[in-house]
Amino acid sequence: MSGATLQPPSGTGLIGPDATLHGIGRAVASVPLTHPLNRRWWIAFAGALALLGLFGGVLCYLLLTGVGIWGNNNAVVWALDIASYDWWIGVASGSLLVSAVLLLLGAEWRGAVNRVAETVALLCTCAAGLYPIIHLGRPWFFFWNLPYPNTYDLWPQFRSPLLWDAIDIVSYLVVCVSLWYIGLLPDLASLRDRAVEDALAQEKAHGRPRKRSLLKAQAYGIVASGWRGSAAHWQLWSQAYRTIALLGVLLVVSLQTGASVMLAGSVMPGWHDTILPVTFLVNAVFSGVGVTAAIVVLIRSVYRLDGLISARHLEILARLMLCLGCASLYCYATEFFSTFLHGDQQERDVLIRRITGAHAWAFWTVVACLLIPAQAFWSARLRRSPLAVALIGVLIAIGAYADHVMVLVVTLAQDFLPSSRLAYSETIWGVATFAGSVGLFLTLLLLFLRYLPAVSITESRRLALAVVPAAAERRAVKEAEARPLASERDGTEDAPLWGVSAAFASEGDLAAAAAALSGRDDAHVHLDAHGPVPMPRVLRTLGIAGRSIRAYAILGALAGGAAFFGMCVYATAYDYVFLIGGRPRFSWPSFVVPSLSFAMMSGTIAVHLALLILNRLPRLNHPAFNIPGFLRATDDRYFLSAEAQGERFDADRVVRKLASLPTEAGRPLDIRRVPR
Amino acid sequence: MAQLFSPGADAIYRLALLTGVACLAGIPIVAAGIVRSDYVTDVGVAPAQPVPFSHKHHSGELGVDCRYCHTTVETQATAGIPPTHTCMTCHSQIWTGSDMLKPVRDSFARDEPLQWVRLNKLPSYVYYNHSVHVTKGIGCSTCHGDVTSMQMTYRANAFEMQFCLDCHRDPAKYVRPQEQVWNMTWKPPENQATLGPELVAKNHIRGGERLTECAICHR
Repeated sequence: MSGATLQPPSGTGLIGPDATLHGIGRAVASVPLTHPLNRRWWIAFAGALALLGLFGGVLCYLLLTGVGIWGNNNAVVWALDIASYDWWIGVASGSLLVSAVLLLLGAEWRGAVNRVAETVALLCTCAAGLYPIIHLGRPWFFFWNLPYPNTYDLWPQFRSPLLWDAIDIVSYLVVCVSLWYIGLLPDLASLRDRAVEDALAQEKAHGRPRKRSLLKAQAYGIVASGWRGSAAHWQLWSQAYRTIALLGVLLVVSLQTGASVMLAGSVMPGWHDTILPVTFLVNAVFSGVGVTAAIVVLIRSVYRLDGLISARHLEILARLMLCLGCASLYCYATEFFSTFLHGDQQERDVLIRRITGAHAWAFWTVVACLLIPAQAFWSARLRRSPLAVALIGVLIAIGAYADHVMVLVVTLAQDFLPSSRLAYSETIWGVATFAGSVGLFLTLLLLFLRYLPAVSITESRRLALAVVPAAAERRAVKEAEARPLASERDGTEDAPLWGVSAAFASEGDLAAAAAALSGRDDAHVHLDAHGPVPMPRVLRTLGIAGRSIRAYAILGALAGGAAFFGMCVYATAYDYVFLIGGRPRFSWPSFVVPSLSFAMMSGTIAVHLALLILNRLPRLNHPAFNIPGFLRATDDRYFLSAEAQGERFDADRVVRKLASLPTEAGRPLDIRRVPR
Repeated sequence: MAQLFSPGADAIYRLALLTGVACLAGIPIVAAGIVRSDYVTDVGVAPAQPVPFSHKHHSGELGVDCRYCHTTVETQATAGIPPTHTCMTCHSQIWTGSDMLKPVRDSFARDEPLQWVRLNKLPSYVYYNHSVHVTKGIGCSTCHGDVTSMQMTYRANAFEMQFCLDCHRDPAKYVRPQEQVWNMTWKPPENQATLGPELVAKNHIRGGERLTECAICHR
């Protein structure tokens, strides 16, 4: 499995003309399976582990000493810790939003970007989720922020954005994991089968399979949950993927609302502003695209995946950054304009202090890194330059971090009480904590690159089929004509029969054959199709065209959201009546944000469970795996299986019927009897 | 292709998944149960004391009033632990040679207090006042249980916040007429539903919003 690289497409193409299903699978799977850059990976991993070790050290010191080591024991109670949190969760939101929106819009080319974006979202959430916990005075009581059955008879304060944040992060982590894993599921099956092929090749070469390769295949097999690529699997998979993407988009808005209303809902000058939540969201997406673009370019150049991640992909990312850069610029301009037009003296002072005060470096970093660089993408040449895309992506991330520092520190350093205006400066421990969390991110990212496919195999294959469908079909037909119909006897005739299988080179052939078989002894035959990409054309023949997973999503989300909202109302208006700041007992608007987040999480869990249970997964051992050559169902072959249902199943008739199909309308490449 | 997994692998895999889910749901439930259990709260556990003093004998059978020993319960924040002198008012006259009472006599002779093992502890951030409770009609047994039936004294209730809040939210359920405060076997009478609110009004108890303010207890 070496040298499996694809030719980069010429000109403005998204994928090379020679990209076949098989070639794409090999090109992507060879990275985790053979790992071509072992030494460089280990060097990078050692560096990341060193940073992670630093993180551990800092956390130990933090637990022993307290949050004062960050220099926060003054009025600036939120500094690098919350800036880091906001930044990580911003990057996470941005990258998830990009992946989800592209999926919902049906962008065929997203395969090159979506896996990286989803992974960045997941790993950033892991890094972000630690901050709210470690910035507590007593981190071991973090669960006090959650509604749990406690002996104090207390409820958390559901009206507070601090609580929204806790619910948002937990929900976001669940949705991220789910979206990431569902996207990964068919690719994991692909990796499993490539690993088995490697083990079989070794057996051929050495006479016995290497235990290690077999274990590797089994490890991928377990995480792939027994994915067989059946048409029914694919149908629900596509629905689940899109549904969770939609839930994720809604959750991003809710999450960023929680993070920004915590500031905007206060009366602090510089925070108390209606544009702030919008700025937060725009900059979040902006930084998410920046980090995603940088990592995409890195993976592309390191693993030579320019056959799949084309210059056109980079150009699209660059255009996205340009758009968001303009939106970000607009938000800043609006803030200046409205503050100077009708803001009060305090707000104007904050703006002046941002530009000229002790933390002016943060403002000028924002200008130099966040606002200006993306404007370079007006130039078409820079849009197509991988170096420029990566560099500007990193700059945007730096600028977004500086923005969070500026917004938090400048306002807090001078609040309304002159007596609490103590100078704040970043401490080495605050910086070390952030560096450590970067170490956590990098360690996980490197593990991801080492063991999982960095580019979506499935989406790339769909793109290849969409770009050159006619050519693929023609090639398939040619292949079918060139080979005589194979129906070898392999000594399994006496074994109890599970069914009959037929292999095809294209979905079109498979659909034609399925149509020919259906309608005859329906009660005794259970038809199913297996292939490397979704097969919408056979669903009607299989009689499952109307199946939908969306009801589970809607019911799950509604039930979860209503339950959470009900809990807020019960707790705040009845069980734990507690007047703070004259808020009414039934202050429903503040319950909407956490309820929405919780609804998205329960919808996601419902969809995820429905996907597995309706598909009867996980199922590691299944008779379909007995189909000869079934490994290629995750590669470049389509299999039609006719499973025997009862005694009256006539295998010979099915075989005769399949064999009599004309070459141009569904003649199989081979027909096999499959033992149980 | 040969199967990568044996048929039994599915059962093991699904069992492992279900176990994981069950643990996820079960661990908080078990933990919530453990922190409420007598094992953690020590409710009903009578520790060894320097002298095996019996509330049942002294207060229940002999009829010594609570206030004979816990003298400041009506006037101060603490009810007061009696000094050895209080014991010796009787035991200098009766059971003067008893082995069981030797620690009491030693304490008296050496002028050192007896080191009782404390049962009812509140965290230092909780402000509690006995006098306001007993003078407003909350009886001893509401918190300390029927002490007159305890041979060796044990903790009758875990003084967790939910225990306090239960009454602070609705004192009418527990408030008694003044003469019933020292009754260790008091049960809410049939007419508590009407009597309670009357007593609450009479004693100027502002339950609900006032008594559930944080600063009532956490000053």
